[in-house]
Amino acid sequence: MEKKQPQSIRNQRRPKGLISPFTVNYFHIKNPWVTAWWSAAFPGYGFIILGSYVKGFLLVGWELFINISCKLNTAIVYSLTGRFEQAKEVIDLNFFLFYVAVYIMSIWRTYGLTVDLNKLSILADQEDSSFAPVKLSALEICYLDKKNPWMAAALSALAPGLGHLYTHRIPTFFFLLVKFVIVAYFAHLLPAIHYTAVGAFEHAVALLDPQWLLFFPSLYGFAIYDAYMNTVEYNKLFDMEQSRFIKDNYQSKNLYQSLECEFGRCLS
Amino acid sequence: MFVVATFDYSFYLELAITDLEKRGIPRENIGGIPLDKRVEERKTLDSIHRADGFSAFDGAAVLGTIFMLLGAIYGFILSWGPIIWGLIGLFTGALLGFVLDNSFSKLHHSKGKKKTGEKSSEIVILLKCEEQHYEMVKKILWDNQALGVGVFKINDLISVN
Repeated sequence: MEKKQPQSIRNQRRPKGLISPFTVNYFHIKNPWVTAWWSAAFPGYGFIILGSYVKGFLLVGWELFINISCKLNTAIVYSLTGRFEQAKEVIDLNFFLFYVAVYIMSIWRTYGLTVDLNKLSILADQEDSSFAPVKLSALEICYLDKKNPWMAAALSALAPGLGHLYTHRIPTFFFLLVKFVIVAYFAHLLPAIHYTAVGAFEHAVALLDPQWLLFFPSLYGFAIYDAYMNTVEYNKLFDMEQSRFIKDNYQSKNLYQSLECEFGRCLS
Repeated sequence: MFVVATFDYSFYLELAITDLEKRGIPRENIGGIPLDKRVEERKTLDSIHRADGFSAFDGAAVLGTIFMLLGAIYGFILSWGPIIWGLIGLFTGALLGFVLDNSFSKLHHSKGKKKTGEKSSEIVILLKCEEQHYEMVKKILWDNQALGVGVFKINDLISVN
């Protein structure tokens, strides 16, 4: 005979989210095509959006390693600007074919994972499972709060990662900021911005390294998008949690009855 | 008498309620009614008060990134260089994505849609209190960013037969 589970366990079987000191990880409905696109822009980003950090960081590390080893970005620039012979020359055939399988797998798996997590999100909503909105640890404080998503987007536009610091998603913040600094340094981005600003365009072109510069657009777009999207979803999570708290604690029969009396339909 | 106030979900809401309880309004006299949102209406512009996780920004971010990448690539052979062309690409792509997203969602929800304000309240607080407490209750509610406070008492009611 099947044992009936106590209410306390049942309410934790399909959790909506987990508040940890360093981040809030949670399920919410996402469009699988959008997460798959971010994995196509840079393998691993789709997993980071979903909060699957270990897979995400490993895949990003892999992509950096393999792309730099086979000089893929340089070859992309040569191909798209019509210098096909140079593109063929620059590719390192020792690494090139490694690229394909992992790239496709990461896109495909991001799509599948998003679909699964969407189901888990709906199950959590059906169960109406609860969680504490504040988490303290010795080193960090994390709590649900309402924040402005446009502020998060603007901060990430200033420096990738800052938006995640604002919305308290520390693993993404740290990772994006470090990656930004590394990419900007090796691409010579900041000096190039300086020379562009003073009008020395040829100088800037000569200085920029296309191999590293091509990592930047996806990093920048992702930082802004993810910071914005998470702030929006954290706001919704806050609403959901507070609404439940009010329903559980401030809907007494007593008040309902006195309202009915006010309208002249006393029950007793 | 009954006092009614509307709030957004926020820390202030809980501060107001707990303060009222501390000052002698019993918990069973305080009621909260969360307002459900019109489900069929998908907002295209998210704000701190109303938000829809996947409409406003997806297209802009996707196209912005793609165009920025293309701008950076072709900037190597164009006269202004990759930085300026990258930025031009970013803004063009983001704008294009935004416009496409917007027109797409308008196409989806064009019929029977009533325009509602960007901001609407999220929860109604209803509480029963004595006349002499009214000023105190009102002050607490206003001090904690109530969007509106109203009063409902038996003496003011019109008698309808």
